Amino acid sequence: MSKDIAKEEAPSSSGVAPSESPTFASLRGVQWRINLGILPRSSSIDDLRRVTADSRRRYAGLRRQLLVDPHVPKNGASNPPNPVMDNPLSQNPDSTWSRFFRNAEMEKMVNQDLSRLYPEHESYFLTPGCQGMLRRILLLWCLRHPECSYRQGMHELLAPLMYVLHIDIESLSEVRKLYEDQFIEKFDGFPFEENGDAYNFDFKKFSDSLEDEIGSQGNAKKVCSLNDLDPEIQAIVLLSDAYGAEGELGIVLSEKFMEHDAYCMFDALMTGARGSVAMADFFASSPAAEFQSGLPPVIEASAALYHLLSIVDSSLHTHLVELGVEPQYFALRWLRVLFGREFSLQNLLVIWDEIFSEDNSPLNKVSKDSDYFSFKLEDSFRGGLIAAMAVSMILSLRSSLLATETATSCLQRLLKFPESINLKKLMEKAKSLQILALESNKAPFSSAFGGVYKCKKSPTNSLNVPSGLGSLKNNRSLLPDRYWEEKWRVQHKAEELRQNSLGKHPPSGKKRWVERIKFRLSRTESAPSPARNEKCKKEHHSIRRCLLEDLTKQLGLEDVAENGGCFEDSNLEDHHSVEVQGEGQNSANKGSIATIDDRCENGSGAVVSEEKSFFPDPPIPPGCSINDHEIYSEKSSPASNLSVDDNGDPRGRSPGDLPHRVSLPSDDVSHSPLHENESSGKTSSTKERRNLSGKFQWFRKYGRSNVNEETSDKHGGINEAAKPPVHDSKCSTADSSVAGTSCNSHPTGKGDTMDQNMMGTLKNLGQAMLEHIQVLESVFQQNQGQVGSLDNSSRNILVGKEQVTAITSLKELRKMSNLLSEM
Amino acid sequence: MVLVLALGDLHIPHRAADLPPKFKSMLVPGKIQHIICTGNLCIKEVQDYLKTLCPDLHITRGEYDEETRYPETKMLTIGQFKLGLCHGHQVIPWGDLDSLAMLQRQLDVDILVTGHTHQFTAYKHEGGVVINPGSATGAYSSITYDVNPSFVLMDIDGLRVVVYVYELIDGEVKVDKIDFKKTATTTHSAH
Repeated sequence: MSKDIAKEEAPSSSGVAPSESPTFASLRGVQWRINLGILPRSSSIDDLRRVTADSRRRYAGLRRQLLVDPHVPKNGASNPPNPVMDNPLSQNPDSTWSRFFRNAEMEKMVNQDLSRLYPEHESYFLTPGCQGMLRRILLLWCLRHPECSYRQGMHELLAPLMYVLHIDIESLSEVRKLYEDQFIEKFDGFPFEENGDAYNFDFKKFSDSLEDEIGSQGNAKKVCSLNDLDPEIQAIVLLSDAYGAEGELGIVLSEKFMEHDAYCMFDALMTGARGSVAMADFFASSPAAEFQSGLPPVIEASAALYHLLSIVDSSLHTHLVELGVEPQYFALRWLRVLFGREFSLQNLLVIWDEIFSEDNSPLNKVSKDSDYFSFKLEDSFRGGLIAAMAVSMILSLRSSLLATETATSCLQRLLKFPESINLKKLMEKAKSLQILALESNKAPFSSAFGGVYKCKKSPTNSLNVPSGLGSLKNNRSLLPDRYWEEKWRVQHKAEELRQNSLGKHPPSGKKRWVERIKFRLSRTESAPSPARNEKCKKEHHSIRRCLLEDLTKQLGLEDVAENGGCFEDSNLEDHHSVEVQGEGQNSANKGSIATIDDRCENGSGAVVSEEKSFFPDPPIPPGCSINDHEIYSEKSSPASNLSVDDNGDPRGRSPGDLPHRVSLPSDDVSHSPLHENESSGKTSSTKERRNLSGKFQWFRKYGRSNVNEETSDKHGGINEAAKPPVHDSKCSTADSSVAGTSCNSHPTGKGDTMDQNMMGTLKNLGQAMLEHIQVLESVFQQNQGQVGSLDNSSRNILVGKEQVTAITSLKELRKMSNLLSEM
Repeated sequence: MVLVLALGDLHIPHRAADLPPKFKSMLVPGKIQHIICTGNLCIKEVQDYLKTLCPDLHITRGEYDEETRYPETKMLTIGQFKLGLCHGHQVIPWGDLDSLAMLQRQLDVDILVTGHTHQFTAYKHEGGVVINPGSATGAYSSITYDVNPSFVLMDIDGLRVVVYVYELIDGEVKVDKIDFKKTATTTHSAH
């Protein structure tokens, strides 16, 4: 007997969005089950009941099968398990014991998460019954899907589903109380006279009771009164009828089978039920095969968010991208838990109503065009709404996001989504954006993953990109080419200018320098940034050793050729400083190159002194993340620009200016955000070391090459040109104290004779070296302390090794400085 | 479901250098809840190693132990079972079942674990079990020829204990299983 429920109109329920499907508007559990695809959208109660019963049977079978008790032998124990294989210490992964231990581990993780679930609603969620059910569901699902084992966050997806079912049961009990007579079976009013002889059959009474009988069995129970009921209540009654199709197992709103239902809902949600959006994908950490991009799905989905945001509100988008706020920092949590952490439970239920009511079937708009890329997230209505929801959330924070200047505060705003928000408005906006999201699901590769590829977490990512993404790579590499070409041209121009101003500058040295710059630039052109770092490092590492020898030779030569020594220093400084700018500090290059230009244009002039700057680029404070290229360049360029301005001032400025300038960048640098970027932390610390060694290389190499060439003009010119770059390079570091002292230690006599100048400067050289060494060592110790606080132990090891190498080079420096000071 | 490891008579470093590598690979931290050791480790390093496998470690003193503060006997309750632990050199004749049964009655335990003979034995006796895990390193003994490295793992689950014996015979690990069910506790009438 099926009752046509479709005729029932939507009863007005509490403030749910008007586009709800008519049936079961107040029974979220049932509605969600229909939307998630577990229950059919059919109009008959019987169908619903049958499908419910089937799904419950499946779950029960699964439960029996998968919860492993190693004592209970598998498969009825026809063959006694071989003790060699099946003992508790067995290493065999197939043995029941191994499985048991693996499950025990997973259970521990699940328990940890469950104990912290929804503490504000602990009256329901932290009850042992509920916890037990949640635990079993999660364990069984994870056992069923071993490829994506339990991940944190799955419990938060499951909890609202369970809650919704629980609410349904509660409303059922409410209805029961109100409409008792519909539910209980009263036969007492119709007594059968149990006298044995006469078969007193009171037909009238019998028919009445029969009617009742029929009524209690079928759906047309007390037909008149049932129809009189509110359709909502009617639905509840029918769904919970113990005598309907499939009997008790088919009671759609059943407390006894809450676990089964919750499991089905969870399963449908996670696997997407053949739809486009499968939550389980968001938990996967490795790229899925069927995705076009080589990225993990959640990263791709975050990129989809940003793509939509760029269409809707490009200024906000560019602002966020500039700050380096990667979408996955906040979107990961949003997507994985489907906004579960951003809203209170009641609000969340409303949101999920909307999301689930959208169709999840794939629209198959994924284009095969290799120039364009379609996000899987936006490939269905539901996915589009999710993306739109996220974007509308970002937009609601628009003013506060635009106001912030650092990425950390941006992230703070995004991660701590405000409690009191106008949910209705948010959802309306999301709905309006949804259409846009679905239509605009075609993005050129370069813009789609701009942010993602820029700050790649590991170099291997770039290797994993499938060949189908070749165009994407090409696009990306185009940008770096142009960028580096430009830089090279700028530097080359600067070089030419210098050549002119310096007259007979030894061409060989120049050529070598130019070659070196070219070499470095060409090496850096072709690879994305972390690979760049790696290559620069390798480069330095390889030449470091040969240059160590150069240095010792140079020291020997210094005794022989005083003049030469002078030039060494000057040339060394010159190239040293240039090398600073040409160094792996990709971001700082921009600012420094501008300064080179300006300096060259300053032309000849009086030389104050030969300044010695040995370590213009000491290790950046360990907290600074180098991968934040944009931020760093922003900070350094104002600093270097400042220095350029100062260079234009008359010569006789006090060294006091210098510390001031230096303090500025140090402040800026210290404010740069501390991003949790593991490899960048690694590369930054390695970079520090490499930078140091890089300084040495330049120093030694060019000292050696330029030993035999000089003119006084050159000397003067070089000195003059060398001083400002040295100043600048110093400014671009955060080492105020040392800079100040070394500055002060320089003799200011311009008109001194060469010899005196040279001796004095050599002595200063030694002194400055010592000071720098001390500073470095203190920074190392600091670093060690810092390193201890880092939570990546492998980083510690790496840094430790590099510290050792750096400390050995420091010792050599000490020797050099001693030699110099003795002279 | 509690896993209890019983071993002893390692005699490290005097008679043996270390546990056999096959045994070592099986003994992984995290699986075992208790370790009971009959004695003769002999040095503290062995105790530290056993501590890494499981924090709950019980040791009784063997005659060659360098740590003098281990007790002679120990009693513990795990699940429904009472376990007794003793090295066994105190019980003469060494390895004799009746004498050990005397000790078991004395300690009033269901499972008595002793060592010293370097031979694995397991007897069901008078409603209780007397287990000798043998020598985990296969150290030579003055009373036994031909010592095979062996140890015992007990799986205590309610009223049932399953004893897994791991022996290293000819370079291969052989596992054997003995089931033992404890009869429901009977009240002894007081005399």
